[in-house]
Amino acid sequence: MLDYIWLVPTFPLIGVTINGLLGKRLPKKLVGLVACGALGLSFLVSVIIFFTLLHLPPEQRYLEKVLYTWISSGAFRAEAGFQLDPLSAVMILVVSGVGFFIHIYSIGYMHGDKGYARYFAYLNLFAFFMLLLVLANNFLFLFVGWEGVGLCSYLLIGFWYERKSAADAGKKAFVVNRIGDFGFALGIMLIFSTFGTIDYSEVFQAAPEKFSPGALIITAITLLLFVGATGKSAQLPLYTWLPDAMEGPTPVSALIHAATMVTAGVYMVARCHVLYLLAPISLTVVATVGALTAIFSASIGLAQNDIKRILAYSTISQLGYMFLGCGVGAFSAGIFHLMTHAFFKALLFLGAGSVIHALAGEQDLRKMGGLRRNLPITFPTFLVATLAIAGLPGFSGFFSKDEILWEAFSSPHGHFIYWLIGIVTAGMTSFYMFRLVFLAFFGSSRIETDRTHHIHESPPSMTMPLIILALLSIIGGYAGVPHVLGGANRFHSFLSPVFSGHHGGGDVVDPSASTEIVIMTMSVLVAVGGFLLAHRMYIKRPEVPAILADKARWLYQLIFNKYYVDEIYDFLFVNSIKNGANRLWQLFDVRVVDGSVNGIANLAGQGSSLLSQLQSGYVKSYAASILIGAALIIGYYVLR
Amino acid sequence: MHQIFFWGFALLAVFSALMVITRRNVVHSALFLISTFFWVAAIYILLEAELLAAIQILVYAGAIMVLIVFTILLIHVEETKIINPWQRQRPIAILLGVFLLGEIFLILSRALFPESIAGTALQQVAQEGNTEAVGKLLYTKYLFPFEVASILLLAAMIGAIVMAKREIEK
Amino acid sequence: MINLSLLTPEIIVLITALIVLILDLLPWRGRKVLLATVGVLGTVGALLITMGQWDLREEAFYGMVAIDNFSVYFKALFLIICTLTILLSINYITRGGIDLGEYYSLVLLATFGYMFMASGTDLITIFLALEILSLAVYILAGFMRHSPKSNESAFKYFLLGAFSSAFLLYGIANIYGVVGNTNLKDIAQYLSQEAALKNPLFLAGMGLLLVGFGFKVAIVPFHMWTPDVYEGSPTTVTAFMAVGTKAASFAAFLRVFFYTLEPLKGQWVPVLWLLAAVTIIFGNTVAIYQKNIKRMLAYSAIAHAGYILVAMVAGNDLGSSSILYYLLVYSLMNLGAFGVVIIVEKKEEENLTISDYRGLAYKHPMLSAAMSLFLLSLAGIPPTGGFVGKFYIFSAAVSGGYVGLAIIGVLGSAIALYYYLRIIVYMYMYDPEKEFLDGPVPFFSAAALVITAIGTILLGITPARILELAHYSISYLGH
Repeated sequence: MLDYIWLVPTFPLIGVTINGLLGKRLPKKLVGLVACGALGLSFLVSVIIFFTLLHLPPEQRYLEKVLYTWISSGAFRAEAGFQLDPLSAVMILVVSGVGFFIHIYSIGYMHGDKGYARYFAYLNLFAFFMLLLVLANNFLFLFVGWEGVGLCSYLLIGFWYERKSAADAGKKAFVVNRIGDFGFALGIMLIFSTFGTIDYSEVFQAAPEKFSPGALIITAITLLLFVGATGKSAQLPLYTWLPDAMEGPTPVSALIHAATMVTAGVYMVARCHVLYLLAPISLTVVATVGALTAIFSASIGLAQNDIKRILAYSTISQLGYMFLGCGVGAFSAGIFHLMTHAFFKALLFLGAGSVIHALAGEQDLRKMGGLRRNLPITFPTFLVATLAIAGLPGFSGFFSKDEILWEAFSSPHGHFIYWLIGIVTAGMTSFYMFRLVFLAFFGSSRIETDRTHHIHESPPSMTMPLIILALLSIIGGYAGVPHVLGGANRFHSFLSPVFSGHHGGGDVVDPSASTEIVIMTMSVLVAVGGFLLAHRMYIKRPEVPAILADKARWLYQLIFNKYYVDEIYDFLFVNSIKNGANRLWQLFDVRVVDGSVNGIANLAGQGSSLLSQLQSGYVKSYAASILIGAALIIGYYVLR
Repeated sequence: MHQIFFWGFALLAVFSALMVITRRNVVHSALFLISTFFWVAAIYILLEAELLAAIQILVYAGAIMVLIVFTILLIHVEETKIINPWQRQRPIAILLGVFLLGEIFLILSRALFPESIAGTALQQVAQEGNTEAVGKLLYTKYLFPFEVASILLLAAMIGAIVMAKREIEK
Repeated sequence: MINLSLLTPEIIVLITALIVLILDLLPWRGRKVLLATVGVLGTVGALLITMGQWDLREEAFYGMVAIDNFSVYFKALFLIICTLTILLSINYITRGGIDLGEYYSLVLLATFGYMFMASGTDLITIFLALEILSLAVYILAGFMRHSPKSNESAFKYFLLGAFSSAFLLYGIANIYGVVGNTNLKDIAQYLSQEAALKNPLFLAGMGLLLVGFGFKVAIVPFHMWTPDVYEGSPTTVTAFMAVGTKAASFAAFLRVFFYTLEPLKGQWVPVLWLLAAVTIIFGNTVAIYQKNIKRMLAYSAIAHAGYILVAMVAGNDLGSSSILYYLLVYSLMNLGAFGVVIIVEKKEEENLTISDYRGLAYKHPMLSAAMSLFLLSLAGIPPTGGFVGKFYIFSAAVSGGYVGLAIIGVLGSAIALYYYLRIIVYMYMYDPEKEFLDGPVPFFSAAALVITAIGTILLGITPARILELAHYSISYLGH
C-alpha cells in the first residue's frame, strides 16, 4: 500500500485538471463533487497509509518512492520522489483531512459565487502543492511545493479581485513571500554547494559526519532556510501579509491558516531538525523569533474588532508557539501543536465564516452579540474551539501547548524567559478568544436592523464539517497525553523514528514530574484567568473596556493600529523600492539617454516611444551608451 | 623616405576624415570622404599591396561614392535644414573621444607584435606577386567567406527589392 | 578539404529560401500558404539531416566551419525556432498586410546566418554569418509597411547594428594583428604561450569582441536598441530576433570565449560578472514600469541574457551545459509568450498594452492558460522548464564560488515574477471588456503554441535527457 503514496497528490491534480479545463461547462454540483471527491480520496489513501505504517515496526516506517530522476547532470541530481515517514504521514493526514472538510464547507459557503469552478480548481491546486511539499524527498522538490502554495495563496487571497483591498492583499502576500522565498532558495543552493546533493537522506546523513555543532556554514544554511520559514509561516518580521490575507473567502483563510501554507515553515524546520540541531545559534534564533512573534501578535489580537482579523493574529501567535517548540529542540511537540492547531483553527475560521454567512457579510464584532440562540450548531462548536485554543484541560490545545511550554522551560535549549513569554501569551490568548466569544455570542444583540431578518444557521454542508472538527478538537489531544498525566504520549513515540537520537521532547518520564505538574497547573490558571478577565470585562461590566481604552489611550492606539508596522514597512521599504526603481529607470533610460531631448515628463507616462520619432540624435545617444561601455571595458584592460 | 611618405599620407587621410565630419555642406563632406579613401589607398601602395589599393579605389571611391552622391542628389540637401541639436553632447563626446584616443595610444605603445607574421606574408608576395597570392588564398583557405559573402549580397538585394516594392505600392 | 556535403542542412535552408522567392511569382492566390509550407518542409528536412550529424566531429572548408556536437545542438535549435516562427507568421502577416514572399525568404536567410554563427570556427566566418543574419533581420524589422514605428525600428537597428559590427570587426582586426590569423584554433594555439596572455593589443581586441557580441545578445549597456526595436518590429519578427538572434549570438560568443579565449578567463570573467549583475538588475527593474507588452518582453529578454552571463561566469561543467539548456528553454517559452501576443494583437497596434489583456481568460481560457504557463516559466516557477534552467544556472554560480552573483540573480528573478504575474492577474482577475480575436485562434499559430507549451512543460518535468545532451554538446567544444 505504501507504494501508492503518489496517489495522495495525484487525486487533487486530477481535480484541478477537470475543474480547470472543463469547470465552466460542468454543472455546479459536479464541480463540487469532483473537487471534494479528489481530496476525499487523498484523505482516504492517507488514512490507509497511516494505519499501514502503524502496523509496521517503528524502525521500518520509512519509504522513499522515486518516480524518476528529475534533473541530473554531472554531479547534480534531483529526483522527483516522495518520502514517507511518520512526520510526512502526520502532515498528509492533517493536510488532506482538514483540507477535505474545508472543501465540503466551501460547497455551501461559495454556493452563489460566479467563480465557483475557478475557486475549486485553485483550492485543489493548493492542496496538491501542499501535499507535494510535505511528501518531497529532496529540497528542490520541496521548493516546487513551496513556490506552488505561494502562487495559489496569491490567487486565492485575491480571489475577489473586484475589491481593491483583496487585490492589494494578494499582492502583499505575494511580495512578502518572495522575500522569504529568496532566502529559502539561497539556502537550498548553499546546501547543494556544501553537500553536493539536495537529497534529504544524504544531506541529513552527511551533516553530522562532516560538521561539528556550531559550524558556520550550517548556521548560514539554517538561518537562510528560516528566512523562508518566516515568510511562509508569517513570523516576525514578515508576518504582515497574513492578517490582510483575510480578504480572501473565509474557507480559504481556514485552509491557509490551519492546514496548509503557514504550517509549511514549521514542517520544514522540523524536517531539517538534523541541521538545526547542529546550529545552536539558529535554534536560538528560531525560538526567540517564535516567542516574540507569539507575544507580539497576541497583544495585537487584544484590541481588534474584526472577527477574522483576531483569528489571523491568533494564528500568527500560535505559529510562534510552534517555532518556539522547534527552537528549543522539541520538534515533535511543535508538530503536535501544528496538528491540534489545524483542527481548532480550521474550526474557528469555519465557525467565523458561518457567523459572517449568517450576518450577510458582517465581520465587525461591535455589530454582533447574542448570536448563541440563532446559531445552535455554530455556537457550541465555536466554543469548543475556543476552549481548545485557550488551553483548558481536556481539550486538544491544552496538551500540545503545554508540552511546548514545558519543553521551553526544561529542555537543554530552553530558558525560563521563553516559558515566561509563552505563559503570558497563553493568558492573552485566552482573554482575546473569550472576548471574541462573549462579544459575538453573548450579551445583547448589536446587529444592524437590516441584517437581523437574515440570521439563520448555515446549511448542513457547512455545519457538518464544524461538528467533525469540533470532535477532533477535543479528542485530537489525546494522541499525546504526557506521561506525567498517566498517558503514553503516543504521538511522540510515533514520530520518534524521525527525531530519533535527538531530544524530541516528552520522551522520558522526567524525574522532576512535580515541576511539570506545577508548570501545567500554572498554564491552566493563566487560561482560566484570561477567561475570568474577559468575562468580567465583557459580560459583567461591559463599560470597562471603553474606560480602559480611554485611560491608556496611547497604548490602546498602538495596539489597535498593530504597532504601526504596516505603515513603517510602507515607509521604509515599499515606497523606497518603488521610488528607487522608478528613479533608476528615469536615470538611465530617460535622463542619460534622452536627457538632451526636452520631455522627461512625457516619457514617464508613455515610455520613450513617443519621443523617439526617428530624430537622428536619439540613436546617437544609444550609440553613446555602447561607446561608453566599450571605452570602459577597454580601459579596464589597458589601464589596470 | 618610406617614413616621410607614410606620415604624409597618414596625416592627409586623418585631415580629410576630420573635414568629412566637420563640414556643414554634405557635398563637401562627400568629396573629403573620397579624398580619405585615396590617401588610405596610397598607404596600401606603400605597403606593397597594390591589389588592395586598386580595390579600395574601385569599390569605395568608385561605386560607394557614386551611391552617396546619388543619395545626396535625391534627398535635396539644400532643403534639409542643417541643424545641430546635439550641442550638449559635445563635451561628453570630446571627453570620450580623448579617452578612447588615449586608450588606443596606450595599447599600441605596449603591444607586442610578433615579427613572424609580417615576414611570411611578405615572402609569399615576393614569390608570387601580390595579386596572385591574394587570389590563391581567396580560392583555397578563404573560399568559404568568399562564397558566403555572395549570400550576404543576396540578402541585401532582397532587402532592396522589398523596400523598392514598398515605394511602388504606395 | 572542402567537404561540401557536410553543409547539407545549410544548403537546404538556402535553397528553400530561393525556392520561396521563385514560387512567390506564381499567379495563384493561395500561394502564401504554399510558401510557408515549403519553408517549413525545408527547415524540417534540414533539421532531420542536422540531427544525423550528431557525433560527427568534422571540419569543412579548410577549418572555417566545424560540424561538432556544439554546432549540431545549436543548429537544431535554430531550425526549430525558424519553423515555429513561420508557423506563427502565416496568419499574422496576412492580417498585417505584409504577406510578401520575401518575408519567408528573409527568415530562412537569417536562419542560414544563425547556423554559421554556431558552426563558424574562424572569426571571418562568424563575422559574415553575423552580417547575413543582421541584414535579413534589419529588413524584417522594417517589414510592416506604412508603419512609422516599424520603419523607425529597422532604421535604428540598422544604424546601431552597423556601429556595433564595427566594434566586432575592429576587435577581429586587433586579434589578427597580433596572431596573424583569424582561425579560432590558431588563436588558441597562440594563447598557449605565456607572454601572449598579457598583450594589451590582444586584450583590447577581446574587449571589442565583447562589445560586439554584447550588442547582439542585448546586455547592459549595449541594450539600448532592444526596447525600441522590439516594440516597433512586426511581432513575429520581434519573436524571431528575441530568440534566434540572441541564441545565435550566444553560440558564437560561447565558442569564441569558452574555447579559444579560455586561457584568458581571468581577464574576461570579472567584466562579465559586472555586466551580468548590471543587466539582471537593470532589465528586471525597468521591466516593471513597462505598459506595452512587447517592451516588457524586451526588458525581460535583456534580463534573461543576464542570467545566461551568470552561467558563463560560473564557467564550470554545470554552468556551461546550463547555458545550452537555458537557451533552449528560453527560446520555447519566449516564442510561446510572443505567440500569444501575436495571436491577440490586432491591426493598428491594438491589444498591445498589458491592460488590454484584462479578462482574456474568460474569452479564451486555453490561450490564457498557455500564456500563464509561458510567463510562469519565464519567471522561473516550478515545474516549468524555466525553473529548472534558472535553478541550474544559479547553483552553477554558487558551486563556482560566485555566491554574490547568484544572490543578484535570485533577487532579480524575484523581482521579475512581479511583472510576469501582473499579466496573469489581468487575464484572470478582471472582467473582459471586449472581444479579443476576430475569429477562432488560427490553426498554425495554435500548432506553434501547442509545440512550445509541451516543450516548456516537458523541459520542466523531465529535463534530464536534454541536460545530458547539452552537457555532451558543450564538453566537446573544440575537440
